[in-house]
Amino acid sequence: MASRTDTGAAAAPRARSWHGAAIALAAVAVVLLVGFPLAELVATAFAQGAGPLRAVLTGDRALSAVRNTLLTGVVVTGFALVGGTAAALVTERSRAPGRTWLRVGLLVQLVIASFVGALGWAQAYGPGGLTDDLLGFALPGLYGVAGVVTVLSVQGVTLAYVVVAAGLASRVEPDLERAARASGASAWSALRTITLPLLRPTLLAAAALSFVSTVNAFGVPAVLGSPAGFVTVTTRIYSDLILSADPAAFSRVILLASGLVLLTLVVVGAVDLGESVRGAVTRTSAPPGGVPPGVGGRVAAGLLWGYVVLTTVVPLVALVLTALTRAVGLPAVPANWTLRHFREALTGLGGQALGRSVLLALAAATIVVGLGGLLTALRRRVAGRGLSTLATLPFAVPGSALAVGVLLAYGRWLRDTLLLILIAYLAKFWALGHRPIAGAADGQPPDLALAARASGAGPVTALRTVTLPLLRPALAAAWLLVFLAGFDELTMSSLLYGPGSETLAVVILNLQQLGDISVTTALAVILTGVVIAAAALLTVVRRATLVSVWGPSLRDGHKRRLGESLRGLRDSRLR
Amino acid sequence: MSPPPAVRCSALTVAYTHEPVLCDVDLTVQADEVVAVLGPSGSGKSTLLGCVAGFVPPRGGEVHLAGRMVASSNRSVPPESRDVAVVFQQYALWPHLSAVDTVAYPLRRRGVAAAEAHRQATELLERMGIAGLAARRPAELSGGQQQRVGLARALARAASVYLFDEPTAHLDTALRSALQEEMTERRRTGGAAALYATHDSGEALAVADRVALLRAGRLVQVGTPTQVYEQPVDLWAARLTGPASVLTVPAEAVGDDKVVLTLGEETIRIDGGRAAGATGEAGTVLVRPEWAELGGPLPGTVRQTWYRGPHTDYRLDTPAGGIDVRHAGAPTARRGERVTWSLHRAWAIAGAPGGS
Repeated sequence: MASRTDTGAAAAPRARSWHGAAIALAAVAVVLLVGFPLAELVATAFAQGAGPLRAVLTGDRALSAVRNTLLTGVVVTGFALVGGTAAALVTERSRAPGRTWLRVGLLVQLVIASFVGALGWAQAYGPGGLTDDLLGFALPGLYGVAGVVTVLSVQGVTLAYVVVAAGLASRVEPDLERAARASGASAWSALRTITLPLLRPTLLAAAALSFVSTVNAFGVPAVLGSPAGFVTVTTRIYSDLILSADPAAFSRVILLASGLVLLTLVVVGAVDLGESVRGAVTRTSAPPGGVPPGVGGRVAAGLLWGYVVLTTVVPLVALVLTALTRAVGLPAVPANWTLRHFREALTGLGGQALGRSVLLALAAATIVVGLGGLLTALRRRVAGRGLSTLATLPFAVPGSALAVGVLLAYGRWLRDTLLLILIAYLAKFWALGHRPIAGAADGQPPDLALAARASGAGPVTALRTVTLPLLRPALAAAWLLVFLAGFDELTMSSLLYGPGSETLAVVILNLQQLGDISVTTALAVILTGVVIAAAALLTVVRRATLVSVWGPSLRDGHKRRLGESLRGLRDSRLR
Repeated sequence: MSPPPAVRCSALTVAYTHEPVLCDVDLTVQADEVVAVLGPSGSGKSTLLGCVAGFVPPRGGEVHLAGRMVASSNRSVPPESRDVAVVFQQYALWPHLSAVDTVAYPLRRRGVAAAEAHRQATELLERMGIAGLAARRPAELSGGQQQRVGLARALARAASVYLFDEPTAHLDTALRSALQEEMTERRRTGGAAALYATHDSGEALAVADRVALLRAGRLVQVGTPTQVYEQPVDLWAARLTGPASVLTVPAEAVGDDKVVLTLGEETIRIDGGRAAGATGEAGTVLVRPEWAELGGPLPGTVRQTWYRGPHTDYRLDTPAGGIDVRHAGAPTARRGERVTWSLHRAWAIAGAPGGS
């Protein structure tokens, strides 16, 4: 630190005033985007007193929403943990052929919007869906609790997979398992005595993440639960806020939203505590992979392929086929294909909504990168660190609750405008853009900028010629992550939209509820196409980031690359 | 019939991508022999050990342990079913286990009861001189202590083949020699075979019965420490095994153990010989620093001196080229001074200077 502060007495006053202005700007942004909405939510909840709380606890319907949410959370977390761990062991340890594609197949669930996943499942396995047409088989209970739990579990498995795969890379050196095998442990016994104990904190984090993302999920219960009367807290908030004119409903919304915040913060806080207690891990340049796979590894890889096909490929194919087929009920053969639904989808409301979503995502991404860069520049200062913590806080706040807070804070002036939605996006995704930038900045040796200074560059020139060029890929990655998250955002948009400010996701949800399946799926396919293109671009940029920070030493870089790119994607799907 | 070798690799080939990491490696280790695998980093040492341990499947060739085939291109016996113990470069100690639990681990895996395993593990830690650290986890141990635990864990395996993957690479010099002594001692008392990978020629020559030189996945030379040091097959092997100067002069081997060199006006007949394939004409002659000394019939000028404590290294410019000469004691000649020197041993090798 000492070497960083002695920048010369003459330059100091100017630097201080620059920093002062920057801190003031960041502080204003934090107060407006984070402080005000959350304070309004908490204040309103307290102002109501205990009356509504009693009403919720005794009211049958609100209470069942709470019960449904908690039960779904627990069951999905169980499935996600087991499935995600098994998948991670197969792709990271078995050396089965085609592992790279298996990883991609699993990660697709992170990239596509969760409500699109639910739509795909409905078109694939629902009544009148693909398997119903071809085989006369429809998944019983797809609309309702079973369907919600299944599709949320599929998404939870991928979330847990990402965490466990990154944990395997960072906590369990292959040499640790090799040492166990060379000490006489069988594959199973090495897993039980070495791998899983070392992964314990990771598994805890994966469980917390699955639980939090499940209880805060909106898209899947909205698409598969609501039509069958299966209500969760998030869909309850939605229907109370959007569909109900009852004043008591509004206090219920405040209360349920506050409850979600509390639950999320408790779970996340407990795990963060556990995460800080971690063991030292050594790194080696050992050859990749664990131990040559036995027959079991190949069988497991085969099973995982089957899983990916059933849970991801078939629903996406079904979605595309429904969008292409001339009319619902016709067999999905080329003779019946048409682009009419796409044309229909893009003219009128759908086209306008697409424009709005692109605009919102562009604006959110650009502003967030600016704000993220600002905080990164301030990260060495105490005030800057405090502001960073505050800015990343809303990320842990459920989207539904944050939207209610934004509505309470700004709804009186900005109701039914895109600006209201943009504020919510900025608050929620600031952390998403901040982290990759700060991560890359921290990974950049301070010596690089100092070397520029020692070579005769002033502070601004050093920033312009050395620091920023090296950060460019990280800035691009942050921009794409926020774009990705904002473009198909549903949870907050669905609570904040009004006439003339419907986003693409909102239009898709509304059309689905109206039963216009062909246009719904066409719009969903368009949305997914954009998202997948952005995600593919992100992967390319990510690689460039890591190479720029770590150099092209791939052996060592591989683990980091895996960890980093997975973390970014995972974060983009935390809603 | 003599017992089968503890390790026999034949035509072993490994490739992670299309570029082979190991290529046609033939190597045997007898039952009570220590073979050092010496090579620069990236030469395939760890991969070779990984093949023997069962971590890396070969693409071609076979590995036999005590006569039993354990690895071929389509079959790989898992590590736990091979009679091998491994000491890892980065220790590979399990962060969640204490030292004594770590050493007890191999014992537990072969079915020793918990209390007995604990007793034997404590005994092994005592032998390593770190019984006092039994309850500590790896994060609370220094590098040298960690590697002692790693060594104790390998010994607890009671295997007939020990694989050392650069066990001293991350230790400082003092710990390194202490650990080397310990391992040489264990070798004398243990009687098990060992394959010892290292990039340090001094270490390889000191601990091994035979040394195998590995370059880019291919074995360049296998021989006793004296053979590889005094009679390297080529310049690369010579530089890998120790300091060497090269003279470009007419040389002729006479019989097996004498060589005649023409240095300017002088023709000298000294100990030495030539590598197979080296021609007798104006060739490349290898001289180790201690094969030459100051004083004698040959002229030279001091270009540089390095005082090393027990001896001093002089770099001389001579009509035959630059040469390093090692002489006991403190420097006696300064830079630029004209001196005389003599040569009592040399080795003629094939190939142009600096070539491979």
